[in-house]
Amino acid sequence: MTADMTHDVVVVGAGVAGSLIARRLTTEGLRVLVLEAGPATPSTFEGYLQHVQTFYAASGKGAESAWPPAIGAPQPDARDLRSDNGYFVQRGPLKYGSTYTRAQGGSTLHWLGVSLRMLPEDFELRSRYGRGRDWPLRYQALEPWYRQAEREIGVAADVADQTHHGIEFADGYDYPMRRIPPSYSDIVLAAAVDGMSVRLGEDEIRLKVRSYPAARNSIPRDGYRPVGAVDIRPDGLGRDLYLGERCAGNTSCTPICPIQAKYNAGKSLARANPAYLTVLARAVASKLHVDPVSGEVRGVEYQRYEDTSSPRHTVHTAHGRIYVLAAHAVENAKLMLASGLGGASGMLGRNLMDHPSIYGWGLAKAPLGPYRGPLSTSGIDDMRGGAFRARHAAFRVDIGNDGWRPTTGAPDTTVVDAVQTRGLYGADLRRYLESTLARQVRFSLNAEQLPSAANRVTIDPRYLDAMGNPRPVISYDIDDYTLAGMAEATRVYREVFSRAGIEDHTDPEHSTWFPEVPYAGGTMRYHGMGHFAGTHGMGNDPESSVVDVDQRSWEHRNLFLVGAGSFPTMGTSNPTLTMAALALRTADRLIAEMGRSSHRQQPYRREQGRSRDLSSGGYTEDRPPEGLGDRL
Amino acid sequence: MTTRLERFLAFSADATAFTRFELQGTGQAREYLDTVVRIAGDTIVDRLLDLHLHAKAVAAASGNSAIMEHLLRRDVLSDPRLGPVARNIVKMWFVGIWYELPREWTEAFGAREGDVTFVVSGTAYAEGLLWRAIGANPPGAKAPGYGSWALPPHIPALAAH
Repeated sequence: MTADMTHDVVVVGAGVAGSLIARRLTTEGLRVLVLEAGPATPSTFEGYLQHVQTFYAASGKGAESAWPPAIGAPQPDARDLRSDNGYFVQRGPLKYGSTYTRAQGGSTLHWLGVSLRMLPEDFELRSRYGRGRDWPLRYQALEPWYRQAEREIGVAADVADQTHHGIEFADGYDYPMRRIPPSYSDIVLAAAVDGMSVRLGEDEIRLKVRSYPAARNSIPRDGYRPVGAVDIRPDGLGRDLYLGERCAGNTSCTPICPIQAKYNAGKSLARANPAYLTVLARAVASKLHVDPVSGEVRGVEYQRYEDTSSPRHTVHTAHGRIYVLAAHAVENAKLMLASGLGGASGMLGRNLMDHPSIYGWGLAKAPLGPYRGPLSTSGIDDMRGGAFRARHAAFRVDIGNDGWRPTTGAPDTTVVDAVQTRGLYGADLRRYLESTLARQVRFSLNAEQLPSAANRVTIDPRYLDAMGNPRPVISYDIDDYTLAGMAEATRVYREVFSRAGIEDHTDPEHSTWFPEVPYAGGTMRYHGMGHFAGTHGMGNDPESSVVDVDQRSWEHRNLFLVGAGSFPTMGTSNPTLTMAALALRTADRLIAEMGRSSHRQQPYRREQGRSRDLSSGGYTEDRPPEGLGDRL
Repeated sequence: MTTRLERFLAFSADATAFTRFELQGTGQAREYLDTVVRIAGDTIVDRLLDLHLHAKAVAAASGNSAIMEHLLRRDVLSDPRLGPVARNIVKMWFVGIWYELPREWTEAFGAREGDVTFVVSGTAYAEGLLWRAIGANPPGAKAPGYGSWALPPHIPALAAH
């Protein structure tokens, strides 16, 4: 271990963007310190299984149930939305309905795994439809990094299914793994729905049930080896478990894939070069120190806690040549604002977006076999693009494989209702469960939201967490453009249900509670998709954006803000693949730049033999190496 | 003389329409019996199981199985003291959760220590009969294997009683 503990790059946040950058930079011999605010996620498989047990034993099995937060790194929780006493301070007028996880691995610990590319037209919304903003790069410019991202996180799909709305792939390219088999329910729905058309204004749109690309392991192509469960023991060596190299149908992408057949950011950290990587969990970045003359960042102050159930902590500062904030759209903005770096443009924290979504649920005529397979394997993508975007939001239809769980709490609540209210037992109970649960269908209709300066994250000294850091104060509204899209989505799902012979049981008055929004004399209930975006949007103009096309801060040239916060608009795809592609692109920019200017640094530690190149290894440091932090 | 566990299995088989063999195969019978005894007490559990055996015996003697349903509904499920406990046993088998007894029950018969809603154990969750009743697997456990979800669900036929 060298005495000089200045790092090449300090990354804040061990989620997907930070972990991909750490892996790529350490592979090039750059020394990277990753600060993670939340608890460490075990790199041993045995440790990971403790989280599976936590999930089994939890009476509520929501997205957060396998990942209990630390007092020092509080996080939003879906259960707090109604009571409004959670981590977020919701200023309204509407509630922001999404949550995220502060832990090593971030929200990829419990994401669904869908890995859609954005459409080419999503990058040009302003020039094509006069709405929102254009991106400072086009689809074609990002395409090489989409391919890399699909390999890095391991996406299963067939190009043949994915060429729609002008999505183009490089010649000869196909995804690293074959598509995940569509569910039986997808197959039955497709037989009824494929080819039907719906009208959106002038546009007549033909529908097709389409397989979703997903970061879940499937049958590999061309010598690719799927990355399964990580098991790095305290000796620093990775073991090959031969586990999780195929999705096995555990039906719990959210909140935890028990065999890690689904990508989580821990896999990228595990595949980083351990000699050049230090990961420090339970280290909450609380302030950036900036040189008042040059504007360059000089250090990241962080609070280190040992006990996840206590706010006790010590304060340290980490130094690097380059700083990368990969903490989450909300946390990045919060950290900048807490450091007094709101910026001259006033854009920081603004343009917060999500995919406000509506559920439609019903009963098919015959059993479709829900509650099996990955939680979603197909969707209807045909309303993601088209001329109608000049008038109202585009939307995407997710077909759920988990019945009415998100809308009514089924199947548990179905049993309780059958036994308690209907007085059923024995064969009658069994017949009732078969006749209801096995026929359940659910769509989630996810609408695009445009950037709006009024939708924003701020901080307020009156609202602090247990360690004295600001809690995010959120102002949020859904405009008529998006509401009109949600209304059209509602009409479309009803037409699809009708065509497929699905009896509509959508009844928000008797369902899980969701926030409501008035529209056209009625009320719509919406839920968040966890797709936070837009708080530090990228652009070509420092007046109207926070970062440039490389995600580099306009005002602090050795600082990068990465993740979905950089999205100028968000289209209808879930943001993970695009933020992964952008992160890899940023990493390449950093390598090009730092490789030129630097003398080669010593690794933190000797390189170790690894049992399986590029698929295990990795190093997670539980305490700061000697001399790493300057104790204040 | 049958043991209480055997009587519990006999009642549970009739209450769930899963065979005694299937119930034993979950490995959960002892844990559920212990849970209901711990919270509801010996007297209530024994009474409930005795009434079930009685109903079964009467039905067998008369050769009319519908009598058992009649007696079970009249003497157990409609009984304000036994009914909620019996229903909790059914729910425990299907979901793996002990649900807090209804307030009317607590007001009439006294609050019981430990009577809160809880997952009986991680294994109880994974062994919930609900999943096999609909041809599915408990999320996060008993994965049926790659691609199995593309096939129609296999919903087991009801055992003949």
